[in-house]
Amino acid sequence: MSKEKRKVPIVDGLFTWPSDEPRLIGSRCPVCGSVQFPKSNVCNNPDCDHSKEPEQILLSPEGTLYSYTIHRYDLRPPFDYHKAPYAIGAVELPEGIIVVGRLTTTDEEKLKIGMKVRLKVGELYSDGENAYLTYFFEPVEEVRK
Amino acid sequence: MTESAIVSAAITEWTASGEPTPSLMDRLASVAVEALRRAKLRPRDVDAVIATTTALPFDNPSFITISAQHFAHRLASKIGSHGMKCINVCGACASTAIAFATADAMIKSGYIKTALVVGADNSPRGFYYQAPSVLDADLATGYPHKVVGITNPSYWAMWARRRAYEMGKPVEDIKELMALVKVIHSEYGARNPYARYRKVFTVEEVLKSPVVCDPLHLYMISATSSGAGAIVVADMERAKKLTDKPVKIAASAIGGPLSNEPAPRLVHFATAGGGRAVRPFTEWRRVIEEAYKQAGITAEDIDIMEVHDTNCFNTINWIDQAMGWEREETDKLIRKGEIRHNGRLPVNLSGGTASFGEAVQCQALMMIHELFLQLRGEAGERQATKKLRVGLCTAYGAYGSYGAIIVEKAW
Ligand SMILES: [Zn+2]
Repeated sequence: MSKEKRKVPIVDGLFTWPSDEPRLIGSRCPVCGSVQFPKSNVCNNPDCDHSKEPEQILLSPEGTLYSYTIHRYDLRPPFDYHKAPYAIGAVELPEGIIVVGRLTTTDEEKLKIGMKVRLKVGELYSDGENAYLTYFFEPVEEVRK
Repeated sequence: MTESAIVSAAITEWTASGEPTPSLMDRLASVAVEALRRAKLRPRDVDAVIATTTALPFDNPSFITISAQHFAHRLASKIGSHGMKCINVCGACASTAIAFATADAMIKSGYIKTALVVGADNSPRGFYYQAPSVLDADLATGYPHKVVGITNPSYWAMWARRRAYEMGKPVEDIKELMALVKVIHSEYGARNPYARYRKVFTVEEVLKSPVVCDPLHLYMISATSSGAGAIVVADMERAKKLTDKPVKIAASAIGGPLSNEPAPRLVHFATAGGGRAVRPFTEWRRVIEEAYKQAGITAEDIDIMEVHDTNCFNTINWIDQAMGWEREETDKLIRKGEIRHNGRLPVNLSGGTASFGEAVQCQALMMIHELFLQLRGEAGERQATKKLRVGLCTAYGAYGSYGAIIVEKAW
């Protein structure tokens, strides 16, 4: 009987895990309101007086697709677990930032700039022991082309 | 204020990357002394060597990279040094533009009179990744290749698709335009003895090449190469004694990342929050505007351009940004062939990075070298037919590295 693999985020600190509704972890500056992803220990607004440290926030799970591409080449080691084809999108969040991430579908018929997408955490690859997780954006509307 | 000028320039032929011989330092030294010979100068006449560091990958993470970070010092010792000032700069693909601007600023400030600007690279093959390093938590864990599988062409592809969308056109439209850019660049690569690729492509061939990241096909993305270049820059008074055709440096602007840049930038997870600029590529536009201001000119004064085309979208985008006109005008310019040697605005008559492949830390020197030849009427079969006075070189690199150089005939 095969043992259930342990689910491990590919990188700690990018999204909440374990979680039924995972969210991206960002930061917001209490002085000027500037939002960052990933979270940072300092604000990135050139006009900020940096008098306070940014606070951790959870970013909105829904955004709008700004652009996308389907990657059709495999990557070299140590990143060869990204198996082509896979889809990458840039997603505009209500916080005013655009985040790049994997998309759940490589079917171009299902993708359209301006469509609503929603955050999801899923498996990127697995080895003998662990399943490694990353964040994806999933289309939440039908495309009428 | 002191004026500065290019006295001489020399580059090697660009070749395949990944071969360890001849050594980078040997190549750099031979091209440096060639530039000095052409200027009738000796190393003793050079006040400063300004070199770019290299993007060479290292075989083992425990090796120190100090040798690659000190090309200026090593070159000075190798060609003979009288204690010349040695400066090493790094700015991804824009490195040599930043080195060049540094030399220009040092001359204009009166600190030095003559500088040797050099760059050499043997760039890694394939997609670029940041090196994982156990010594830096950021590199060990956080970078987007690891998490998202994103590569440089992915960003370019997303920009290209977005441009088509914003113009209300199907993505096939920009795909075909990028293929045409490749074709035109290849026509000039074929006429350039320094270019690595001399084949003239057709639009069909480009569109038949494998898709890397839609809409970018393989032949729309530059290969990586090996190459070296050297340029001698001096204050105008001295330059006029050394050559009867000094090429004045009318402007040399260095650009950096803008926190409110709205287009996702290589190689970041996200744009910055708060107060986004309205137009994408404000970073690109900003460095050019600074150069125009320094030179006291406008876009209409530009006779010829060499723009950094790591992929064919960048040629299109640089024209958009440099001209500051409706993007439709750029499309028309390219479709009518007006960027050819006999056109209204010749672009990349060197053949561009499309024909050279990219020797990352040296690419802007290749472009400045071409403008130097074009303005002096020494570009042979590639020579622009219109009367040339002012040329613009734009360089672009990851993390928001930019350079914009304006050169002008000074005779
Ligand atoms: Zn702040």
